[in-house]
Amino acid sequence: MAGRSSQERDGLERQNAALIAVFERAGFDHIAPDIIQPADIFLERSGEDIRARTFVFTDPGGAEMCLRPDLTVPACRYHLSHVEDPSAERRYCYLGPAFRFPDELLSPQEFTQAGLEWFGAGEPVAAEARVLKLTISALEAAGLTRYRVTFGDLGLFSALLDDTEMPARWRQRLRHHFWRPHAFRDLLQSFSVGGGARQSSISPLVSRVAETDALAVVEAEIAARSLPLVGGREPGEIADRLADKAADRRERPLDPAKAEQLNAYLAIAGEASGIDSRFQSIGGSERFAGARNYYARRLFEMEELGLNPRRFHFAAGFGRELEYYTGFTFQIEADVDGGAVTVAGGGRYDNLLSDMGAPSPVPAVGCAIHTDRLRAVLS
Amino acid sequence: MSILTFAMPSKGRLMEAASELLGRAGLGIDRLGAERGYRGQLRGIEDVEVAFLSASEIAQNLRDGKADLGITGQDLLEEKIPPDEGSVTLLLRLAFGGADVVVAVPECWLDVASMVDLDDIAESFYERHGRRLRVATKYRNLTRRFFAARGVTGYRIVESLGATEGAPAAGIAEVIVDITTTGSTLAANHLKVLDDGVILRSSAVLAVRTVGKEDPRVQRLAAALAAPA
Repeated sequence: MAGRSSQERDGLERQNAALIAVFERAGFDHIAPDIIQPADIFLERSGEDIRARTFVFTDPGGAEMCLRPDLTVPACRYHLSHVEDPSAERRYCYLGPAFRFPDELLSPQEFTQAGLEWFGAGEPVAAEARVLKLTISALEAAGLTRYRVTFGDLGLFSALLDDTEMPARWRQRLRHHFWRPHAFRDLLQSFSVGGGARQSSISPLVSRVAETDALAVVEAEIAARSLPLVGGREPGEIADRLADKAADRRERPLDPAKAEQLNAYLAIAGEASGIDSRFQSIGGSERFAGARNYYARRLFEMEELGLNPRRFHFAAGFGRELEYYTGFTFQIEADVDGGAVTVAGGGRYDNLLSDMGAPSPVPAVGCAIHTDRLRAVLS
Repeated sequence: MSILTFAMPSKGRLMEAASELLGRAGLGIDRLGAERGYRGQLRGIEDVEVAFLSASEIAQNLRDGKADLGITGQDLLEEKIPPDEGSVTLLLRLAFGGADVVVAVPECWLDVASMVDLDDIAESFYERHGRRLRVATKYRNLTRRFFAARGVTGYRIVESLGATEGAPAAGIAEVIVDITTTGSTLAANHLKVLDDGVILRSSAVLAVRTVGKEDPRVQRLAAALAAPA
């Protein structure tokens, strides 16, 4: 389209002024993070999938820079550079352009994102409910009337996994693969079949490691074959993984009923306020019960803020696309003829600030609104 | 009838093998201009002009419509043109230029046999070293597609335009995606291919712009090139 006409620009600006006014009135400090960002933080944090969609370039000094693909990371950088103690509570909002190569949904390459980030909030459930409430209020202030809200809760899954008896390293691998449903199912299946991994080119070595000290086997092998140590991994690291593989073979298989329980949980979906009976039928023990309680308190907080969770949808598998998040996740879709358009999303991401250099994890909840999509829906 | 532009590799094994195959089918090429000119005329089929291009430019020329058909490596074709784009059709796999595009890791990674292992490593590598695993390659798109299909995400690509197999030893990357015929270069650099690390079994191919697929001259060239050696 090569740009917006004066009417289009005016329409978008009016809409966005209404959005940001809601955030400002709620006491969120309206900041303007840099548009040009060091690429490393995005790339190290997000991996190649985001990089493929990010405009990366080299500055004259040779540093790799990018046009921000999103404003959450820039807001975190702003926080880390402006605040002495990163765990100090701060509430920020922003409105500005972000840039991505178009995806299959044909979203534009540059779009305006409005959002907020709440760092160091004291009361986690209250902050989550409040962020959802503010997102909905902003969308309604801009004129959106027909929409649906879906949320997920990685805390529930994580708690159920903690309650499931299995070696800690299996749990860690399942948690890692939560983001990849296929790999997750395969892995769970392999744990319940037992006997460790399938046959592979390293199976004989795993057998040798099973009988003796892993590091000695690794060092002997490296010496015998005169293998140069390249690739940045130490023999100890390599030996540890081989020892884990050998231990997997000896491990008692995961009870198939327990594997089924995890799958059954991930299949739960339905009206958000009536879902607890489904959680209850899953079972679990202490930690899962704790997470259910947290969920219930969040619903209560939503109602306190005047939201009606009976209109919201819960899906246990929701959030599996968004590797960022650590707990509550949500998405708001506008109803349009013949379907729905995602106009906003958000959630809790407690590890991002510490990944970026804060000395310890800082609670963080945020949301982002895709203002161009919203405009397209509303006009 | 408008002139059909047939893109051929301008040098190397691919060029020699393609010329030989065409010659055997009675389709010699007269190079125009100076001895090493970059244009030529095909003997035996009217109205076909030969453009000698670097093998890596041929896919892009087909995509842009600057060439109507061409001989190039399947690896280069699939790297340059997304599989679902449809603008260019692979008409024929040829009996030369065979090579595999593979994922290879240092041989000293004794605990790594598969893409699943690589995904595991990517995770722990980030935790231990505070940076992503780096993959050196000239096949940016093939790598992304293959890794995404196998659910491997925690890595980043380092562009490598030559001697990719040396990247791990040079400390530029930990993993490589490269093309190999016998595997001897990989072995010499103490690299091993993952059990499930073959991205593409490539060969030279005849590719054509999809819109011109039915052109009789294209059909004749395909028939000539398909003849058993």
